[in-house]
Amino acid sequence: MDIERIRKDFPVLSRIIRDKKLVYLDNAATTQKPSVVIDAIADLYKNYNANVHRGVYLLAEESTQAYEDSRDAVRRFINANSTKEIVFTRNATEALNLIAYTWGEANIHAGDEIIVSIMEHHSNYVPWFRLAHRKGAVIKIVPSRTDGELDMDAFKSMLSDKTKLVGIVHMSNVFGTINPVKEITALAHKKGAAVVVDGAQSAPHMKIDVRDIDCDFFAVSGHKMLGPTGIGALYAKESYLESMEPFLSGGEMILKVTLDSVVYNELPWKFEAGTPNYEGAIGLKAAIGYLEKMGMDTIESYERELTSYALEKMKTVPGIFIYGPQRAEKKGGIIAFNIKGVHSHDIGTILDSEGIAIRAGHHCAQPLMIDCGVSAMARASFYFYNTKQEIDSLVAALKKSKEIFGHVA
Amino acid sequence: MSLEELFKEIIIEHYQHPKNQGHLEHPDAKSDGSNPLCGDEIAMELIFDGNVVSNVMFTGNGCSISQSAASLITEAIKGKTIEETRTIMNEYKNMLAGRDYNADILGDLEALSDVKRYPARVKCASLSVAVLDQALQQKK
Repeated sequence: MDIERIRKDFPVLSRIIRDKKLVYLDNAATTQKPSVVIDAIADLYKNYNANVHRGVYLLAEESTQAYEDSRDAVRRFINANSTKEIVFTRNATEALNLIAYTWGEANIHAGDEIIVSIMEHHSNYVPWFRLAHRKGAVIKIVPSRTDGELDMDAFKSMLSDKTKLVGIVHMSNVFGTINPVKEITALAHKKGAAVVVDGAQSAPHMKIDVRDIDCDFFAVSGHKMLGPTGIGALYAKESYLESMEPFLSGGEMILKVTLDSVVYNELPWKFEAGTPNYEGAIGLKAAIGYLEKMGMDTIESYERELTSYALEKMKTVPGIFIYGPQRAEKKGGIIAFNIKGVHSHDIGTILDSEGIAIRAGHHCAQPLMIDCGVSAMARASFYFYNTKQEIDSLVAALKKSKEIFGHVA
Repeated sequence: MSLEELFKEIIIEHYQHPKNQGHLEHPDAKSDGSNPLCGDEIAMELIFDGNVVSNVMFTGNGCSISQSAASLITEAIKGKTIEETRTIMNEYKNMLAGRDYNADILGDLEALSDVKRYPARVKCASLSVAVLDQALQQKK
């Protein structure tokens, strides 16, 4: 992989921040965008902008075609069976809420059990928490083991005939842990439970095959995989989507409306009310094209090498504690840590003065913070455009932050 | 802007060895608050003697800015009248907002003046005064 050439595809990576070269290590929050994505969006507005699925003129045909081509790109990217199974949403959060408010509303009843893990992002916890509250259902939490992996024994013991839904994050946005979603799905299906996989962190970094996983729902966010913000997708098995009530209502999701009756549109448009974010979808298609050209296997193996290097170097920082799996084979390129005597916000500010962007805070995973006995962590997260030199800069800046705060016991 | 201006020695000293940290028996007023985005937490307890803040203690956890601010502000208001306390709080708010302020009134609190250059951190420095505001409202 020619990283220097790849980096030239991302205009923002040449920015100078506070007299230093930008070192962008907050990729789990959002990724930077290559020129092909920026250009695809500009091309739409310069050459063929028209509302989709409405006009009979050439521009509308072109924009509609581009929008639906994007849907097929998402289908191919996660290996879904049909474009009927791909619903465009704002992001993974909206995809997960869509499930909770449609399938969940109809299928979760008092006394039913919903199993989620302690590693869930708030977006795959709060919708189920609220659903359970509305319905009088029970939420059960699968803990993590001390090595940062999911406690599968605990999961197995929680599964029962009462389990109606299992929600599981594919790659933790804090620990980086890659959870065994295929095994989890098989176990849950034996009990007749539906399985929702939050793929916001996994889809950008590894090959996804929803048919192999066999999950019933899979959620992705475009902006975490080179795409623009405001576009994401929900994969759901066709049989599920067929049985579900619509989420939002309005234009596009209908076939026929009279004052007395409404006939819903076919899949997947039944779940896409209003003018969709076709600009976002078109940008996402360009992003997927870029990722496919690079190859997800190449991306995964390069990031693993980078993560392995980072884990080894970061361990040399005095007083550092790294959360989650300690070996790169077990996780994606996400490393959450704290340094004794230096709060993560202070680390964030000190790193910023070196042009290094990382995340500090609770990472929208407060239950996991509480479980780890902290209120905040610092987090460095990588993408394929990051380099070992950038990790060296990170480690040097971490050592500097330790020096500023002195070597407190 | 250099880091040394933000993380002055006095700030790190108050962060590592905070003054007035702990609880009071039978406080006349108490209040707490947090910054949901970053998780900083501060709780304050006050005892009044007539119109004077005769004692004040805080507990909390969070970054050096939020915790040193709590330490410095409790030092600044202890033994002051409520009127004087409000003046100190207002001058402190002026400083963080980048407005003119009276340095003599602020004393050591002026160490936090460079926080205003870091918009993401102003909330950290402001948490203590927000909590103090709520606590003072409990004074009849």
